[in-house]
Amino acid sequence: MKQVEKLIQELNQQKLERQTRRHFLMDCVSKMGGLALAPLMFGCDLGGSKSGSSGLNLSERDLNPLAPLPPPFAGKAKSIIYLHMAGAPSQLELFDFKPELAKYHNQPCPESLLEGRKFAFIRGVPNLLGPQANFAQHGESGAWVSDFLPHFSKVVDEVAFLKAVHTDQFNHGPAQLFMQTGSPRLGRPSLGSWVTYGLGTENQNLPGFVVLTSGGKTPDAGKSVWGSGFLPSVYQGVQCRSKGDPVLYLKDPDGMSRDMKKNLVTAINDVNKEEFNAYGDPEILARINQYEMAYRMQIEVPEVMNINEEPEYIHELYGTKPGAESFANNCLLARKLVEKGVRFVQLYDWGWDTHGTDHDGSIDMGLRNKCREIDRPMSALLLDLKQRGLLEDTLVVWGGEFGRTPMQENREGKTQSFLGRDHHGDAFTMWMAGGGIKKGASYGITDDFGFSGIGEQVSVHDIHATILHLMGFDHEKFTYDFQGRPFRLTDVEGELIRKIVA
Amino acid sequence: MIDFILPLFGRFHPILVHLPIGILAFGIILVFLSGKDESKHFSSIKIAFLLGGIAAVLSSISGFLQYQYEGYTWETVQFHFILGWCTALTAFWLFYETNKLNSFPSYFKIKSAGLFGLLLFTGHLGGNITHGEEYLIEVLPSEIQGALGYELEPEKQLIIPEQGWEELAYFEQVVQPILNQNCKSCHNPKNKKGDLDLTSYQVLMEGGEDGTVMTAGNAKSSPLFSRLILPKEDEDHMPPKEKKQPLKEEIELIKAWIDLGGTTDSKLGEAKITTETLEPFFYKEVKPFYPVTEVEAASESSISDLKEAGFFAETVAEESNWLMISCINFQSFSDSDWFNLKPVQNQIVYLDLTGTQVSNQILDSLGTLPNLTVLKLNETAIDGSSLEKLEANKQLKHLYLNKTKIDIGRIGSLNNHPSLEKVFAFDTPAAETENPGKFSFYLEIGKYQLPALPTDTIVY
Repeated sequence: MKQVEKLIQELNQQKLERQTRRHFLMDCVSKMGGLALAPLMFGCDLGGSKSGSSGLNLSERDLNPLAPLPPPFAGKAKSIIYLHMAGAPSQLELFDFKPELAKYHNQPCPESLLEGRKFAFIRGVPNLLGPQANFAQHGESGAWVSDFLPHFSKVVDEVAFLKAVHTDQFNHGPAQLFMQTGSPRLGRPSLGSWVTYGLGTENQNLPGFVVLTSGGKTPDAGKSVWGSGFLPSVYQGVQCRSKGDPVLYLKDPDGMSRDMKKNLVTAINDVNKEEFNAYGDPEILARINQYEMAYRMQIEVPEVMNINEEPEYIHELYGTKPGAESFANNCLLARKLVEKGVRFVQLYDWGWDTHGTDHDGSIDMGLRNKCREIDRPMSALLLDLKQRGLLEDTLVVWGGEFGRTPMQENREGKTQSFLGRDHHGDAFTMWMAGGGIKKGASYGITDDFGFSGIGEQVSVHDIHATILHLMGFDHEKFTYDFQGRPFRLTDVEGELIRKIVA
Repeated sequence: MIDFILPLFGRFHPILVHLPIGILAFGIILVFLSGKDESKHFSSIKIAFLLGGIAAVLSSISGFLQYQYEGYTWETVQFHFILGWCTALTAFWLFYETNKLNSFPSYFKIKSAGLFGLLLFTGHLGGNITHGEEYLIEVLPSEIQGALGYELEPEKQLIIPEQGWEELAYFEQVVQPILNQNCKSCHNPKNKKGDLDLTSYQVLMEGGEDGTVMTAGNAKSSPLFSRLILPKEDEDHMPPKEKKQPLKEEIELIKAWIDLGGTTDSKLGEAKITTETLEPFFYKEVKPFYPVTEVEAASESSISDLKEAGFFAETVAEESNWLMISCINFQSFSDSDWFNLKPVQNQIVYLDLTGTQVSNQILDSLGTLPNLTVLKLNETAIDGSSLEKLEANKQLKHLYLNKTKIDIGRIGSLNNHPSLEKVFAFDTPAAETENPGKFSFYLEIGKYQLPALPTDTIVY
């Protein structure tokens, strides 16, 4: 019955969305007359209010959609920092060491690997491209990390690697959507939306799901990667800018003092309260609550988004330069936000699409530059979380939307002047650290060329299942009813990756 | 020659049983339709009871034959059998009574209603035998199941000891528990889907309606394994796709058992399996982070009072009574606000006082929290002069003292704390100590650095 009611609600919502001013005027022609006539003829009661509040049983959630909720079981992590390298970094230059591939450098790729395959840009038979980085084992766990990430190689013992992640998408937009929403098509809520929907957020003066971008561009898939899909829109990510005003339109306009703003909010809320007393619609209460929250955010957001007050050694650790838009600044902000009780912080860093079409997109030069930009900040983030004890219950996830081919890209069948790799989803590396993750673990084996996983492969759904598990959810039971059926982040798949859970 | 007649007649039982139900129910309805004096349906009612009685006798006889020839145990059928005969006798008795009557007084209606009840109950018992006792219960929502006292407990999860697993009897201690957990609900003596019973080695070897399910030494041609790995959409996939699916490790164990020879005397250690396959079944002593003792739930009003006062207050999980309290939105919290927390002092396991106005005095109050496991006193005026008072918190595991004025000596006073595991003292005088020494807990003072490298400045 509930489902039927929900379907009707969805239908009405859609109908309302299609109503335009013209419809309204059309309706007025016929109906206003009737309306005017009715009291003349009968002087009757037109429905009116039926004491709004008495029969209502409102939960805290109805009034404040971000009110915290306990997870189904005690999760190991309370908050998440997700570092998404948009464009897909090359696993073969960072973590997946393939000495065999080096031996076959510049030789034609075996036909058996190409049979029935489709690549984004590779045509015909490309040559193999050996690793362009020097690898060594690091830490007590002996994790392989290349010299592209010299700082990160010192913190590998905090991290669990997934070395055979696979996705079925090989274009950025769909692959990013798949990685963030569990579906390559638009319309599904992002991971951060699911988590804030399920748990709310601890600090009521800050948004529950914050998005920070760097690298000059937002992800190819657009803002849908932090959209709320069919979940109420209050659960979508709030994009904060690390330069200028962190949240647009939050600052008081010129000539408007705080007190005046307070009076304004109070006045609007008073009107809304009248409205609620008349109609008893809980949406009105939610609106009142949001006005108040926006007012509180005005104080707290600028404070938490300001990195100027951080001590010098922290700036040195992260390599931050206040005022710039950088991955380093975003990493520091992520720590500050999590420290302040934000549930989900999503970072996107653009510029990892190393096809070898130009200098910036080359495996041996452009990629090195990108690595230098993230190496210190992400290592610093882990250390800073660790020294504050935040790593106990903060989960850090790092990865791209897919991996890259062991072959040199040959766009349009031509030889390229820079070293580059095409999109490849068969096997790539991701890592997780912190809340509930087994330190120093490595899971997943790839073949000698790093082309496919040959053992311990994990899917995108498996990663989602694991993240939800660490937050205290059974991914099979965490659902939202929409269009007459329950939806899951992991659709009908996903298995917990037990080996990387402490 | 006529040997087959009796079992064949027995197999007609499922059809025959519907006759007395229909006929007698029709008669009973007519009884209730008749007024006190009327006898309009008199002859119909008489004939309904007579025919119904005869049909009940035939049903009972066929039922008895089915019991004889189909291998049901007496325990399973006894009540159904006895009540079946009772139904027949009652029908005849009512037929006899109608002969003496001209109208249907109320006592007769009561008797008819009794017969109807008998009919229903006998039919229900019969249904239980064919479809299984949980046939009706299974589809009910779990809350109603619980209210009816039917906790449909799933079979116990297979547990394998990490040491000495090689010695386990492969069939008895590994395969049978897997079958019990994944297959038994549809393949048991009472409910033999596909005429297959998987509750013991003997019956498993008998196979089902399509013949044997296990070819020793060849898993790929044994339906016991091969049907598990069919695509879920395949009609022959087992367990049916809407049922819970076995773990891939469980399937591997079944495969390895068949390949090993599929006998009852092999040991788990003889099979070609790795500890990797067994890992999910190893018994792990899960030490819950929060105390295992039980407390009653904090009252809803006390929690809403806390929220009203500005605290973050939630249970650690939906079913848990332990409370997490944070002052993240209540930074003006000071020693004198402690009274707010008193009503829930037994439930608090996590208390975050970061950035609040508390002083050393608060340590006295903190001692009244018997289950406190995580305590955050970051960025407060605590200087640690009476830190040893935290010894009263016998469950305390994580203590956060970041950005306080605490020094290493004060931290040392906690060295004999019975439960403390980690202390965080980043950005404190303690962190400035050259050689902080060893403690009974892990001390995190941070001060991490990533020394500059030549490569930091090379731009390619």
